[in-house]
Amino acid sequence: MRLLRPLTLFLLLASTVLAASPLAGRWRLDVARSTALDGWTAWDLVIGVDGSRVTLQHDMQWRATKRTATNTVDTAAPSVVPDFFRVEQRHMALYPAKGGTTAVRAAWLDAGRTLRVEADTPIEISQGQALMRIYEEFRLIEGDGALVLIELHSTRPSPLVYRFTRVTETSK
Amino acid sequence: MSSPASHEVGPVSDRPGQSKTGPTVRTCLLAIALLLCVHPVTAQPAPAKVAHAPATATLIPLSENWRLDGDIPVHALLISLQGLANRDEPRVYLEYPKSWQWEIVRPLIGFLEKRHGVKFDRLKLDDAEAALALYAKYAKGVVVWDKQVRSSLIVAFTIAGVEDLVVVTEDQLALAAAHGLRPVVDLRGRFTGQPDHVIYQWAYDNYWARCSRDYYVVMGGHAGAEMQPGVADFGIRQRAFFTDLSANPKHPEELALLKKILSQQHPASIVLGWHSYGKDTEGQHTTLVGNYGLIMEGLHNLPNVSFTSQIPLTPGFKFTNNHHLAPDAKLTAEKKVYVCAVATDAMGIGAWTKPGRGKIPYTWQVLMNWAWLNPPALQFFYEDKSPNDYFIGGLSGPGYMYPKAIPPDKFAALAAIGRPLMQQLDLRILEIMDYSEGNRHVGNTDLPKELVDRYYAQYPDALGFINGYGTARTFDLRDGKPFLSYDYYLSIERPVEEAAADLEELIQLNPTRPYFLLMHVRESNSVEKVAAILGRLSEAVEVVPLDVFLKLAASAKTYRTHYQQPTDAIDRNP
Repeated sequence: MRLLRPLTLFLLLASTVLAASPLAGRWRLDVARSTALDGWTAWDLVIGVDGSRVTLQHDMQWRATKRTATNTVDTAAPSVVPDFFRVEQRHMALYPAKGGTTAVRAAWLDAGRTLRVEADTPIEISQGQALMRIYEEFRLIEGDGALVLIELHSTRPSPLVYRFTRVTETSK
Repeated sequence: MSSPASHEVGPVSDRPGQSKTGPTVRTCLLAIALLLCVHPVTAQPAPAKVAHAPATATLIPLSENWRLDGDIPVHALLISLQGLANRDEPRVYLEYPKSWQWEIVRPLIGFLEKRHGVKFDRLKLDDAEAALALYAKYAKGVVVWDKQVRSSLIVAFTIAGVEDLVVVTEDQLALAAAHGLRPVVDLRGRFTGQPDHVIYQWAYDNYWARCSRDYYVVMGGHAGAEMQPGVADFGIRQRAFFTDLSANPKHPEELALLKKILSQQHPASIVLGWHSYGKDTEGQHTTLVGNYGLIMEGLHNLPNVSFTSQIPLTPGFKFTNNHHLAPDAKLTAEKKVYVCAVATDAMGIGAWTKPGRGKIPYTWQVLMNWAWLNPPALQFFYEDKSPNDYFIGGLSGPGYMYPKAIPPDKFAALAAIGRPLMQQLDLRILEIMDYSEGNRHVGNTDLPKELVDRYYAQYPDALGFINGYGTARTFDLRDGKPFLSYDYYLSIERPVEEAAADLEELIQLNPTRPYFLLMHVRESNSVEKVAAILGRLSEAVEVVPLDVFLKLAASAKTYRTHYQQPTDAIDRNP
């Protein structure tokens, strides 16, 4: 009981913080301040928080072509995600392996101001199949008005850094 | 005229002076004779050639302004006059501005002077007065387009070709009259408030029957306040029907009329120009053209074809490629990374004149129809090539086409046009692209096995095939002939450091050696940029031309055989 009480308190506090997560909402890519994005000219990231489940919805656009994909992660326990979406995939022949599943771990850091996502995702390559480890941090910066996504790949020599600004009713 | 020995594609019809209601009996007999003697299938409707380039021609510089409320009126006048003046002989060449997308328009002037001995008499910028003084005699009057209705200009191009009229606005009537040209057709007010499908239906009802069945012009590309009708001179010369009708299902009336038009064109005939940026997508339009087994020659601002299409190759010239090995040679790949860079859109609108060409082995896709449509331009490239430049054929056949969109019963006829063109142009490798079910963002760009079978069967002399534009996943190896897809697409905007990181990642993820990294270089990316990217890689790579690349890939199949799968995503390029 002595152990359970602080754990319960922690979970209660965490859920209270995250229920009103400052990351929740629609974020728009700041193209000029981000790593060059290939294949897409616009990217809205829509973050939703429901308890320990976090939805990362990607609204992508290139001219008239639009695509929406959502990765749902769980900060309470590791999860398995089918069709894990990566932004950088079509200018390189690195396709999500058909039927493959991605092991994902997620956690809140920095008092709920950073979401960490780690994924082991199977990739279809011209030589067959390979595994890519992905490490992502979604960090609030500049108050709550901007968000930075830092993404590392086990196979890439440099990080991908994307900056977003919050989409408000007035900025839509 | 073509001969079997030269492997040229023979002229069949559409020469100036042919019946406006269609091929004459004599033309038909000639066509049949040619089909029997030269090729067993349909040949291209090639424009007739003059015996040699003219000793003199008129050069008219054009300004940078292509707005409808700017210099388009004078440019439309000059382009239409060019089409008429060049009907039976090449007389007028327009010098487009330095920023023109088809950048070879200016270097080609020097080539025509140097290799063909043409002496150009230069007029002043946009000098319609002087041009009319010289060439109004080739027109029977003018067609007046309505400055308030953009599509009326496109209809005017059709009428100009059919009725031999110069295209003018009301502001230019006095100028035309001073040179004896009176209004024959006046479109002012005729289309006010009408949608495009109604406007083009009117043009169809009144002029379609007298237009060419060998050429149709989609006068699209730039939309709205701007128009770049560089290809209109040739369309007028050939009496083509012009529209910018949409292939987008969102525009059902336009799509229905467009289908009606395409369905009546001759088999394997030419669609010139480009889809409208304001109405539909490249994928939608090229797919529709393929559905009718027609050939897309895609560039709305391709200039001066009424002039260059008539100029033959210089005496003794033969297209020769920089082959690096005999067709039956065998190579053995080492355990390392091989890279091959291929530029597709880059001959004419891209990188040819940019820095670095010749620095590294580089492969260039040739627009094969230029062999008969634009011989001087193709000769210019072949004579200007460096030892490191290697040519291949494309895209998917003779012209720009998506094989999945072409009905199987029309595919063989197109391949039969493509094969002799490849032989004439000394090309041994064919590049394929198919965006009928996707693009480099969504859907798929792969080929089913049945279509791969067809390519192997229809192009038996090819050393191999490459597929994609963006990346793709179709791979095969048969009888020592690889069928490979692009593993990387280098966009124009991609920074050098990110592109190098991309390649590093591909090399890291494909661990088996040899690894064959086929890289598509888009349009205006320079060879210098590609060399800089490759120079930053950690692992040593060997850059080779495509014929060597394919022979090496034939020796070590480290790529897995793969075709389009029934479960692959399909996206119709909305």
